[in-house]
Amino acid sequence: MANLINAIVSGLIAGSLYAAMALGLTIIYGVSRVFNFGHGIVALLGAYIAWLFLGQMTGGLLAGTLVSLVAMFLFGLLVYRFTINPLLKKPGWETSTVLFLLGAGILLENVLLQVFGPRVKSIPSFLPGGLRLGAVQVNWHELSLVVIVLAAIAALNAFFKRTRTGQAMRSVAQSIPGAQVVGIDIDRIYGLTFGLAFAVTGFSGILLGTKYYLNPHIGWEWMVKGFVIVSFGGLGSTSGAIYAAVILGVVEAIAVLYLSAIWVWPIWFVLFMVLLLLRPQGILGGRL
Amino acid sequence: MQATKVLSWKSALMGLALLFLLAYPWLGASSYLKHLFILFFIWSVVAANWNLLMGYAGITSLGNIGFLAIGGYTSGILAKSFGLSPWVTIPIGGLAASLLVTLFLGLPALRLSGIYIALLSLIFADSLPSLLTQTRGITGGAMGLHEIPGFLPGMEKVHAYYISLAFFLAIQYILYRTVRSSTGLAFVALRDSEHLATTLGVNRFKERLKVFALSSFLTGVAGGVYVHSLGDISPTTLGIEPFLLGIAMMELGGIGTFAGPILGSAVIVFGNEFLRLAGTLRLALLGALICGIILFFPGGIMQLVERVEKWLRRRFNKLPPPSPGSRSHS
Repeated sequence: MANLINAIVSGLIAGSLYAAMALGLTIIYGVSRVFNFGHGIVALLGAYIAWLFLGQMTGGLLAGTLVSLVAMFLFGLLVYRFTINPLLKKPGWETSTVLFLLGAGILLENVLLQVFGPRVKSIPSFLPGGLRLGAVQVNWHELSLVVIVLAAIAALNAFFKRTRTGQAMRSVAQSIPGAQVVGIDIDRIYGLTFGLAFAVTGFSGILLGTKYYLNPHIGWEWMVKGFVIVSFGGLGSTSGAIYAAVILGVVEAIAVLYLSAIWVWPIWFVLFMVLLLLRPQGILGGRL
Repeated sequence: MQATKVLSWKSALMGLALLFLLAYPWLGASSYLKHLFILFFIWSVVAANWNLLMGYAGITSLGNIGFLAIGGYTSGILAKSFGLSPWVTIPIGGLAASLLVTLFLGLPALRLSGIYIALLSLIFADSLPSLLTQTRGITGGAMGLHEIPGFLPGMEKVHAYYISLAFFLAIQYILYRTVRSSTGLAFVALRDSEHLATTLGVNRFKERLKVFALSSFLTGVAGGVYVHSLGDISPTTLGIEPFLLGIAMMELGGIGTFAGPILGSAVIVFGNEFLRLAGTLRLALLGALICGIILFFPGGIMQLVERVEKWLRRRFNKLPPPSPGSRSHS
């Protein structure tokens, strides 16, 4: 029984990290209808950039995080401007963007492999010690991760509701002709969306890097989980992604408890398949 | 019109190529080159079937290597453990691939928009290696299946060459007929105007299931030909490199054309040697190649061929007009 509760708690924590990671994916898809097949690598890139600053100076992680956020934002802008934008203008962009982002993801993964090497890296946890409530064992570090994720979600929420750019993004997600009618520059919003999403994703990579080991291949695992989560929550729905992430995190933890870790991929596959058979629009109903 | 169609330079080229392929082993090809040709025959079938889904039917399927693996493993296991003849096990392998994939991937995802089949097939192909590792007793786990019996007892490379050539020709012919059948027309109609096509009775879901079932069957058969010609299969076939190579074959040749995947796979299979020289940068190069082609040369080799043809026609004004329907979309 204690094992089960610990698994659930572990799943909740993992789920909140997954939620942070899935946000970037659902933001890009919601606004531009482009599905980022290089999502995992973006998260990894953000983590590696922050990692570079570790041990360079005091407060290195904070500086690294800031640099990572800015760098990933700019990277997203550039990727949109020079690659996605030209592809969107041609017919058959749905297939071409998928294949392009896949290829770019693999290219980036191998560049990271060359630059950083295959050995695993990790970002150290920033709060030692833990907490015991009866049978349950929780680290302060992991709790702080959850708090950070909640804060980030609240910040994003405020951004989308209160700022003009955020509102513009929401309107483009709702209706492109409608947004154009009120004078929104779709191209500019797409670019900003990519930038924002890349920054958020890179940030989630840093968080994930404090709990899991970093190596260039783990990006694919994060990405696939992100896909299932985003579809579960409903494509285009940010709150859906968050709920789905937490639920699936718990499900995964329980499944790993009773089966072994090898079954992770097949489990996610079955979850996804069942979702598509029973309720393809996801929990909160997104775009089909 | 018929006469010029038969005598067009494209048919002449194809005839010459066919003669060359038939005669090649007698022209003194080394065992290694025969091996490469066998790989080319099999991979061009995989690429052509993948192209049927992606280029003609507009289904973004990312799991085709999985079909190959299912067909290959099924055929190999049946032949090795139960001693059945490959001529029996290969079709069974194809059927197994087609049934499994149509049930688990096609049914859930083909009713929905394109992104779902892409996601589901990607996750499917990624789950197969762990399933294979878990079933070590039957599938040989991470080591894979080895010493799979060939088509004939005491088979030599040259036999494998001709058998795989025969499969290649047969399957390409089936694909050719499919593209020109009512199913092929249905996809052209759906692409031109989905609403009008649907009101005329074209059932998008059914047609998609049909090509999915056919393409997974043929790719599974190719998997069977693969294991019985080469004798081994392992989970590395499901890795990222064969996947990228497959995509590169389609993109390089020209997605949506008929000859594209064949040309693309020829270039990739025979050019793979150069790729091997790059060592650890292999995958990065492949990724860069795919990105580059999509950005700058989306029509691939066939686009180049068309441009040259147009230029030549303008310059000389003597070549016969292009046969209609040689490309599925501009």
